[in-house]
Amino acid sequence: MKKLLLAIAMGSLCAVSFAQGKDLKVAIDPTYEPFTFKTADGKPTGFDVDIASALCEQVKRKCVFVEQVWDSMIPGLQAKKYDVIISSMSITEDRLKVIDFTNKYYNTPSRVVVKKDVKFTGPASIKGKRIGVLKGSTQEKYAMGELKTAGVEVVPYEAQDQVYLDIKSGRLDGTVSDFVEVTGGFLSKPEGKDYNLVGPELYTEKYFGTGVGIGLRKGDAALKNELNAAIKAIRGNGTYKKINDKYFKFDVYGK
Amino acid sequence: MSSYYTSILQGAVLTVGVSLAALLVSVILGLAGAGAKLSGRPILVALATLYTTIIRGIPELVLMLLVFYGGTIGLNNLLEAMGSEATVDINPFLAGVLTIGFIYGAYMTETFRGAILAIPKGQAEAAWAFGMGRTQTFLRITAPQMVRYALPGFTNNWLVLIKATALVSLIGLQEMTYLAKQASAATRSPFAYFLFTAALFLIYTTVSLFVLRRLNARYSLGTKRVQL
Repeated sequence: MKKLLLAIAMGSLCAVSFAQGKDLKVAIDPTYEPFTFKTADGKPTGFDVDIASALCEQVKRKCVFVEQVWDSMIPGLQAKKYDVIISSMSITEDRLKVIDFTNKYYNTPSRVVVKKDVKFTGPASIKGKRIGVLKGSTQEKYAMGELKTAGVEVVPYEAQDQVYLDIKSGRLDGTVSDFVEVTGGFLSKPEGKDYNLVGPELYTEKYFGTGVGIGLRKGDAALKNELNAAIKAIRGNGTYKKINDKYFKFDVYGK
Repeated sequence: MSSYYTSILQGAVLTVGVSLAALLVSVILGLAGAGAKLSGRPILVALATLYTTIIRGIPELVLMLLVFYGGTIGLNNLLEAMGSEATVDINPFLAGVLTIGFIYGAYMTETFRGAILAIPKGQAEAAWAFGMGRTQTFLRITAPQMVRYALPGFTNNWLVLIKATALVSLIGLQEMTYLAKQASAATRSPFAYFLFTAALFLIYTTVSLFVLRRLNARYSLGTKRVQL
């Protein structure tokens, strides 16, 4: 009787769904162009979304996209609102403590950006310059570890666009940022025309981690293996390349 | 380009829906809470005090995450423990309405309590002398006079409640702030969309203020306006 009452109470509040075979519920936060964003008519699109659809096709399940705000991405996964997160989430040690990840499905490099007239030959060549970075980012870790030790002045900011504003106003000489972010958000704009990418593509695992993976609940080993195999399959059969070329001029899978 | 604005407008409809429904919940809870606090029964007073103390002392954001995600995780664990394969999905609209209503019910409790206390005691005593019961006294004597005292505080609560709806995107509801964020991310021109959303909020609050002022005028009939 109690169970029945409980069932009725819950039935009125919520939809109870059974862990059925087919649908794969995929969480995205469509506020990260060109990886996940929405078109004007409200459809989710972008690199992450296309990769997710390709993976679903590979594992023969139907993708159902669930939009979720970034701040509650992990709680939503734990609450079983969805099965996986495919929303440009980097694999980090802190996240691995609470959720699990598949292998990476992309890994964009970070780059140093300075004014075109600066001769860059390595960290020592920009000694004394002021470089802005996003606070708490992998790029900050890198800048603190490699640039600061070479005498570069590293200035952390609350948001990456504040870095660009301060470059514009002349308080900074450059930045270290994700390649895709800095190309789309700064170099392609009028205020970035005097700046360019210098030095090699930065991948150092110590600072930048292992890339972006699919987040899933701990203990979902079967799904993890299935998705890892699917990532490998679309890398192999050309589907990945097709999606990649739709958005980027280089291979975002990384090294 | 322009249809991002259409989607934000649809979000605005949701914002209005959530806030009005949450207002209803909070008014009911507020009346119940104020009644409990003034009842003089130790258990009811203690419960209502616990409610207002805890709720008013915790940020809405934390409460929302706690109630929605904590609740869902708890329910799912319970189901798993009972050996069921099912997973529960709480309806986000209802969850948003109940959570915001529950939070603002605490603020309403204090507003209504203050308003009831502001009515001279002789009014209720006179009603009892006429043989009216508790309900009759409340409906005919207390409530109509209470409205006037409660309106200023009520207006404040309402405005804050409207703005709190911007938080329901956390639990998966696409209200206008989140849609504006999506639009600005897709087009990389945040200013236009956030300005549009700000204007919508302003229109909504201005209309509310107008309605509430009319209500205030209606319930202040027969009272002297304070001269400063």
